[in-house]
Amino acid sequence: MGTKTLWISVFLFSVFIPFECFYTHCALAQVESHEDREPIGDALSDPKNPIHVLFEGQRLALWSLRPIQKPTIPTVKNSEWVWNSIDSFLLADWEKQNAVPFPDTEPSPWLRRAANSLVGLPLRFEDSDAFLADPTLEHFSNEVDRWLASPEYGEHWARMWLDAVRYSDSNGFDWDEFRPKAWLFRDYVVRAWNQNLPYDQFLTEQLAGDELLAGQPTTEREQQMLIATGYLRLGPYDNAAKLFNEQDRARVEVLSDLTETTASAMLGLTMSCCRCHDHKTDPLSHADHYRFRAFFAACSFADDKSLELAHDQLAIQEHNTKINAAVDTANADLQQWTEQWLALLHIERDTTPPSKSKKNKSNALARLRVALQEEQKTELANYEEQIKTLKAQIRKPNVGLLMTDSKESIDKIAVLFQGDHRAPREEVNPGFPSVLFPNEPAMEKPVSSTTTGRRLTLARWIVARENPWTARVIVNRLWQMHFGIGIVETPNDFGWTGSVPSNMDLLDHLASELIESGWSLKHLQKLIVTSHAFRQKALPMGTKLYDPAEREYRSCRIGLKRLKAEELRDAILMVAEQLQHRAGGPPIWPNLSDDILQANPAVLDDNETKTKGWYPSAPHLQTARSVYLVQKRTLRLPWMETFDLPENTVSCPKRDTSIVAPQALALMNGELNVAASQSIANRIKTTAPHSTTSQIDLLFQAILARNPSVEERSKAESFLVNREMAELANVLLNSNEFVFVN
Amino acid sequence: MSSHQNDLRLPNSRRSFLQGLGGGFGSLAWSVLQQSAISDDLKSHRRIGDIDPLRPLAQRLPHFAPKAKSVIFLFLVGGPSQIDTFDYKPSLNDLADKPVPKSIRAAVEATRFANVFHGCEDKILRSPYAFQQYGQNGTWVSELMPHFAKHVDDVCFIHSMQADSNNHAPASYQLHTGDVRAGKASLGSWVTYGLGSENENLPGYVVLFDAGPLGGAGNYSNGFLPPAFQCTRFRDIGEPVPNLTPNKAFVEGQRQSLDLLADLNREHQSKLPGFLELDARIASYELAYRMQSAALDVGRFEEEPQHVHSLYGLDHKDKRTQSFARKCLLARRLVERGVRFVQLYDMPDKDGWDAHSKLTENHTPRARWTDQPVAALLADLKRTGLLDSTLVIWASEFGRTPMVQGNSGRQHNAAGFTIWLAGGGIKPGIHVGATDEIGLMATERPIQFRDLHATILSALGISYEELSYSVNGRDERLTGVEGTASPLKDIFV
Repeated sequence: MGTKTLWISVFLFSVFIPFECFYTHCALAQVESHEDREPIGDALSDPKNPIHVLFEGQRLALWSLRPIQKPTIPTVKNSEWVWNSIDSFLLADWEKQNAVPFPDTEPSPWLRRAANSLVGLPLRFEDSDAFLADPTLEHFSNEVDRWLASPEYGEHWARMWLDAVRYSDSNGFDWDEFRPKAWLFRDYVVRAWNQNLPYDQFLTEQLAGDELLAGQPTTEREQQMLIATGYLRLGPYDNAAKLFNEQDRARVEVLSDLTETTASAMLGLTMSCCRCHDHKTDPLSHADHYRFRAFFAACSFADDKSLELAHDQLAIQEHNTKINAAVDTANADLQQWTEQWLALLHIERDTTPPSKSKKNKSNALARLRVALQEEQKTELANYEEQIKTLKAQIRKPNVGLLMTDSKESIDKIAVLFQGDHRAPREEVNPGFPSVLFPNEPAMEKPVSSTTTGRRLTLARWIVARENPWTARVIVNRLWQMHFGIGIVETPNDFGWTGSVPSNMDLLDHLASELIESGWSLKHLQKLIVTSHAFRQKALPMGTKLYDPAEREYRSCRIGLKRLKAEELRDAILMVAEQLQHRAGGPPIWPNLSDDILQANPAVLDDNETKTKGWYPSAPHLQTARSVYLVQKRTLRLPWMETFDLPENTVSCPKRDTSIVAPQALALMNGELNVAASQSIANRIKTTAPHSTTSQIDLLFQAILARNPSVEERSKAESFLVNREMAELANVLLNSNEFVFVN
Repeated sequence: MSSHQNDLRLPNSRRSFLQGLGGGFGSLAWSVLQQSAISDDLKSHRRIGDIDPLRPLAQRLPHFAPKAKSVIFLFLVGGPSQIDTFDYKPSLNDLADKPVPKSIRAAVEATRFANVFHGCEDKILRSPYAFQQYGQNGTWVSELMPHFAKHVDDVCFIHSMQADSNNHAPASYQLHTGDVRAGKASLGSWVTYGLGSENENLPGYVVLFDAGPLGGAGNYSNGFLPPAFQCTRFRDIGEPVPNLTPNKAFVEGQRQSLDLLADLNREHQSKLPGFLELDARIASYELAYRMQSAALDVGRFEEEPQHVHSLYGLDHKDKRTQSFARKCLLARRLVERGVRFVQLYDMPDKDGWDAHSKLTENHTPRARWTDQPVAALLADLKRTGLLDSTLVIWASEFGRTPMVQGNSGRQHNAAGFTIWLAGGGIKPGIHVGATDEIGLMATERPIQFRDLHATILSALGISYEELSYSVNGRDERLTGVEGTASPLKDIFV
């Protein structure tokens, strides 16, 4: 496979080759397998490393290439401020810069933050009230434990991961076909977070769950491993490409999607930048992209693969054998009966054997049907009914949206000139980024006998202790969700154009802590949320504030957080007591007006398999949590989009937050708010029918989880002189206090 | 803008164009355009890319003096046939029912467009439409477009467009965003991200359609650009924008509700000084309130005199003509009010111009639905003087093959097709590029979508190489990261 050339000699020759071949020599920044060859070391230590040669020893001082080393917890002057190890790292850094921690926030925003960042839901008045009576760290910590153990935790955090892995329920492109089984993956993610599945296992299953199984799954856990491979199927897919002889393009798009999404979501590497040429800033060569891509070269859709447990599959098989035998018997009986009546009624048999000519058979049968008396007609109908009933008992196994390998058709992966699949250059073998791992890896032997081990090899490397990216990338994502800004502000880019960590030791401490805890995400989150830093007030963006001694204030929280689309919708539904709790399942399709549905004309072209149209869910399901709403690629839910739902074709590192007028229109005038406002108002009027003051109090409690101030109460009272309670409810649902977490 | 027109003279002969290319991007005439004076009224604005978070749609300073202030992009969805509209090929009559001439087939098969033969017969279908010459240059236009034909002297035809995919969604994504894959930002988002808008009471980027383009939202999406630059869909009938008017139960008390809201928000803000996001959100409610009346106002067609109604075809006997006429009139009323970018789709159903069989049954009515409104839009923009500052583009994701498909239909053709541009500093009455003798593949000066994008951005005073947005460590550009785009410098006045 591939050119067995020493990269170094070709590199020397390439000095003289014309421009178009420039990329060709870069492509050879790789090491071919050779048994006699001395292995080459990483570019930081071995000048023979192709990346070292290619970039002339430059680009290697990148922070994220350094191995994760567990830093010792620093000592600080103001040790009283420290609640846990996180605070020590932060404070040590701040003290070095003569800065001081920004003061604590009040108990109630503190608790609201935790609710928001752990379960993505608003605080309930009862919880807030109880906490205010005893606002201790211990009480807080108990609440944190409660939320970490609640099923809403997984629903909230699944959304973060679904963003990172470009989750969608449809193919994209012209027809944007619905993928009826994509939700299995969504539920897998929810369950994984709720069960605190070790993160290394979580990644391995998504990349290579099928390679971990010897055959059919024998436990639910193994079934989940198969479902996890849905990760490999989530990218856009141009199902119509084959009609225009462009299936090669569609295939290459699948492979580049897998390369780029895996690199972004799991490693913070910008592999999309070296699809067409050597990376412009990072120590990644053009060939590195394709070496990485080659791990996916055997990928093959496995949507007909049974998901049933082995003993169920056996039972299904036995059951179906029995039914098929019964069908055969019934058919034979019918045949005998038919022959008998054909003879009795002297109907001429078909000239050719019926099995070979359906048409003739039906002719003979048709004539027979006409000739039969009522009594025999009933008899015939009974025979036929019996066969139909039997056939209906055939059980079909459950299937999913799965990927596996096809050992028979492994794509040859070649470096593509300018990323164009019509311009292949030399072939490459699977390999990790050459800068650190230039040698060809030894392939893992998968448990499965039908796969190549390529993806398992990649997965094992990704979760290996010595991988400098994986643990850092995920702890940074967690930090970003809890504080709004990551320690590295660019979660999908740990390269030269990304941000540098604001506190490298803290990042490595968290990464080490994660690995040492057995990759326990909940452990890490508990640590983050119960730090003193988590309680600090937010600093306004772009402003510096100083204490009386003119020391700069520091906080990890910069700016206020506007609720994300899902959080805002869920919050409105929850305070209106309309939010449905559900345990996963197929997505919920909101009711959309016809003119919105036409946004993709394919909807108008609905088909028999029910994959192109729009299929609104039953009214009682419409108020499910937002993570369960259908995510089509070409037809996006307008309300969610207004509140910055991200594009779901590529990995989304961080939600954008816009504050624009259409959002105000949606919240003032939209149906969701009107229905919620009216529902809250009715409820409150029923609870406290006689006192407007009590009603106002209840309204503030329901929506803002607090009582109104005296002034607010009197303003509300004057408003209600000529306006309705529902209108007041809508005002509170529109308020900055409801929409921002501070 | 007119006072600067003399500064903006560009090389107009083919020779000087080629010399310009030879001289690289820094060719003299082009740099004159780039360095030419920007009017004083713009100078107080922020620069491109410097977004005020409180006013993301505020106008920004272009890179150089713009020719056009706004864009109306007429998108004819599904691939109208160039050889039955604007690319007259008399030899199709002689070659009718014969195979594609060997030399042409060989030439096409040697390129990336070889798959254009896939799915159709090796047999030429003559154009069922008669052609006639119009205008001072004797431009050939088929009988499908009698109204538009009167305006050929106002437009610049490009006969040699090419797309990278022969399938709708990828080609359409590419025409909108520069990439055959979904997920990138559309032209309208790029332009409003760059320049903001002239009327902050209306969205800067508006799309109009009955049914959307093939491939759906991936076409007109803001992609990776901030959501402030996403499009807003306006309807040409009824409430222009969803949620524009309050619920019946709340309508009477809206002002009172907004006042109480502002009151509570200010109280809340007093405890959180310095957080500009709170100011922004308070301001967004006042803007929303103003937008309610501004958006309703745009849709008041009754303000237009009867002759304008008739000009566009609002009173046409065909309902679909009426519908497209309303969209064209709405487009004019939007740019008149300072909206930066209007993307208008001709898609009354699920098929568009996708005439895989029975070409005439598809194209004849579609031409009837669009011809008069499009001609009226040009006439009306010219009459009101808006054409000088409005760039109008008529394009589709690809054209169609001269080869027959199915029952007298034509297959997709990304190898060579016609689009036109008008207004906004584009030289009128000219033709750029050409296809082979059967109209299959561009043979003279093939133009790619990235070149069109570079041209559009240039007309707006934006340097297409500088307009970028960093995504996952990569500076994304509408014209691609490869830097292979080149604007059609010679088509500017």
